[in-house]
Amino acid sequence: MPRPQPRAKAPPFPILPALQPIADSVIEAKLPNGLTVRLLPSHEVPTCSFYTFFRVGSRNERPGITGISHLFEHMMFNGAKKFGPGQFDKVLESNGGTSNAYTSTDLTVYYEDFMAEALETVIDLESDRMRSLQVTPKMLESERQVVMEERRLRVDNEIAGMVDEELSTLVWKAHPYRWPVIGWMKDIENIRREDCLDYFRTYYAPNNATVYVSGDFEPKEALRLLKKYYGAIKPGPSPAKVIDAEPEQKGERRAEVRHPAQAPMLMIAWRGPASTHPDTLTLDVLQYALSVGQSSRLTRSLVFEQELAVGISVDWTWRLDPGAFTVVLELKPGADPLRTEAALYAELEKVAKEGISARELEKAKNNLSAHLLRELATNNGRAHALGTYELMLGHWREGLALASRYEAITTEQVRAAAARYLSAERRSVVTLAPTPGAQA
Amino acid sequence: MKTFRTQTPKLRPLHLPPHEVRVLANGLTVHVVKRSSLPLVAVRLVVRAGSAFDAADQRGVADFASRILRRGAGGQSADEISEAVDLVGAALGGYANEENAVISLSTPSKHLDAMLGVMGQVVLAPDFPEQEVELNRRRTLAQLANELDDPGTLADRALTRAVWGQHPYAFESCGGKVDVERLTRAQLQAFHRERLGPKVAHLFVVGDVDVEAVTEVIQRTLGGWRGGPKFAPEVPAWPGLQKPGDVVIVDKPEQTQAQVRIAAAGVKRGHPDHFPLVVMNAVLGGGFTSRLVTEIRVKRGLSYGAGSSFDMLSAGGSFTVSSFTRTESVNTLVDVALAEVEKMRLKGPSAKELATVQRYICGLYPGRLETNEAVAGAIADVVHYGLPPDWIAGYRERISAVSVKQAAEAAHRHLFKGERVLALVGNAEALKPMVSRYGPITVLRPTDLE
Repeated sequence: MPRPQPRAKAPPFPILPALQPIADSVIEAKLPNGLTVRLLPSHEVPTCSFYTFFRVGSRNERPGITGISHLFEHMMFNGAKKFGPGQFDKVLESNGGTSNAYTSTDLTVYYEDFMAEALETVIDLESDRMRSLQVTPKMLESERQVVMEERRLRVDNEIAGMVDEELSTLVWKAHPYRWPVIGWMKDIENIRREDCLDYFRTYYAPNNATVYVSGDFEPKEALRLLKKYYGAIKPGPSPAKVIDAEPEQKGERRAEVRHPAQAPMLMIAWRGPASTHPDTLTLDVLQYALSVGQSSRLTRSLVFEQELAVGISVDWTWRLDPGAFTVVLELKPGADPLRTEAALYAELEKVAKEGISARELEKAKNNLSAHLLRELATNNGRAHALGTYELMLGHWREGLALASRYEAITTEQVRAAAARYLSAERRSVVTLAPTPGAQA
Repeated sequence: MKTFRTQTPKLRPLHLPPHEVRVLANGLTVHVVKRSSLPLVAVRLVVRAGSAFDAADQRGVADFASRILRRGAGGQSADEISEAVDLVGAALGGYANEENAVISLSTPSKHLDAMLGVMGQVVLAPDFPEQEVELNRRRTLAQLANELDDPGTLADRALTRAVWGQHPYAFESCGGKVDVERLTRAQLQAFHRERLGPKVAHLFVVGDVDVEAVTEVIQRTLGGWRGGPKFAPEVPAWPGLQKPGDVVIVDKPEQTQAQVRIAAAGVKRGHPDHFPLVVMNAVLGGGFTSRLVTEIRVKRGLSYGAGSSFDMLSAGGSFTVSSFTRTESVNTLVDVALAEVEKMRLKGPSAKELATVQRYICGLYPGRLETNEAVAGAIADVVHYGLPPDWIAGYRERISAVSVKQAAEAAHRHLFKGERVLALVGNAEALKPMVSRYGPITVLRPTDLE
């Protein structure tokens, strides 16, 4: 698996003065077993956030065990050697804390928010499950049912989930991004305990994890506790490299989902670059210029002027392997999706030919900067943002320097990125075609 | 199984920045809180003009008008205002909830003066251009229709109606299809003229500001605001559940999973039992180790989520249990939920459960005040509901002071016995024979809730 390499020297882009105190506060460490540690002390509120990022997600799966990363995330709350079944959340809550987790295509991420006094307890709890998670047949069966219920909620009974699942299978033919993070229902039903244990040994070793602690704590004491509780956990083998065997796309791909619904819906994706590719940030700017704010290109044109969509959103999620630039259009009941599609392509073509105005560029950059600042307003947000930057961009500094990296992007670069990525040959289109069931 | 020790909570003090209050000559009350860790400011204008005060033939007018205030004002077009706001990376929006119309602004602090200028225009001199009214009407109607595809939204709507009957809280703040179709531009203008005004409004400014300088800017941008009501209106009293025992099913035949809601009367905001109820509910259906999560998710794998909550408004409140499960498990889920509520009503929480949730709530409370928006919201609630001035500073102490006896008594007083309603969304043919034992069934189509 390609591990982002920390840069030898500081990136050429400066960090905004407002963010310099955060950059100055970061303390970096690495335990002998390979666990990466980042401490972000601040004393504004008497709480802390503790994040653990594992470099594993659905891209590390294979057919037959799709969804195991996510099912495993659930299993992490079901008991280890010291803190048995049900104890993790009980102990945490009784110490003034709460926890949650999520799984993406690339990462599995756990966090706790808690009162500052509970830091040692949280480190005890987290290290216990990294060292000695217990996967009992009984807990696995119960959790399997919960995950199947989650799939029914988010995919089988939710239209956007259904359409999104169809879209991924269209965009990717060979790469694991093809299957949904929650997995196929049959695979969830059939994942075996041995698969889980194997997964745990490979991906939940300290050398595959990064810990971020932010909030009201003393760094020396925190580091002492981290060494005390994590130090004896043995490193694991290097996880297998994920092969990106995705073939070149040779033309537009289309699919239709027929389901009872009030109105049609469109989800359209173009294959984009990987997170560390320089074009990724140019596409961030393009995403904002197209869809953020009532005056953004697509919102103004398709929602307010032509009234061809009720709502529009553009998703450009950074991924370790080449990802997808996705436009979602919510239509009116009775609307003609082909007409909306044509209008969307006309707008994108204009950007690919003429670029965006200097003012649109400035707007996009200002909105990106404001968004970055808002992310950093809480202990939880700081730990999550910096951790994500480190894992997706290679270094947390790259994230804090994003504003100046965006600042250097030109209108010509935005035009070129639109021309290069948002072409007909690179796109996949899923249309939701309403069937009569839902109309009264 | 090992036991764990719960220490007595020792609470580190909350560092609350000073909260300055000024009343402008026109009657607008301005609250300023200076916090300067990041160069951002949150502004929130709260006007006592929510949907509960919409006339029966103009439901949705407060929300409709609040949403399009920014679509043309003070001689500037919608596009010009959007350009100004978007250019600096700010966000400006309006909406109404049951009790208030709210206009909110979030901006980098260096653009605060300019953005307060835009906000002033939007509040004082909206044009409600005819084409923007029609555009918003068409968009809102399409959104109302599309929301019928979301089972969770349908369940919440069906429940809201079943609980509140004909009380103003029974109606969605945005109004329904029929309401949105008939609202007129003249009604929107009248809403702005007659129901919005400085004497029934509070402005909250939180973030990286200079108190004196920002007060001057507010005087300049909102000091000229005139008109509107002299006194805040009151929401009418609620007579209680009209048809306790009713079961409502919203029919979506294609569903393989049913959304389930159980609700009953709760309490008003500011009720003397507030803290015992918050603590008791955390044991029943609050955190991730609550009894409902343990019984429904952890022990039985019936659902991905389960919880209970008290919704406390100024004229009344409700108590709701929410979950969902595959169609064939609905009875098990409802029976488990009803049994847990009844057990709590009769016996209350244990001392250990109480200590756990007290620490849980107190430990996380400071984290609820981390962003400028959260601080503005918390102070706005204290003002709106007339809560004691030390509500935020003393919140954790009041939570910690609740005794087992108080929590048990509150459970006994306020949790339902038989007088509750059920709302389900799913395949009605499959559900009807299963749920008829809970009470008389009414089947609705999704479009009945549009």
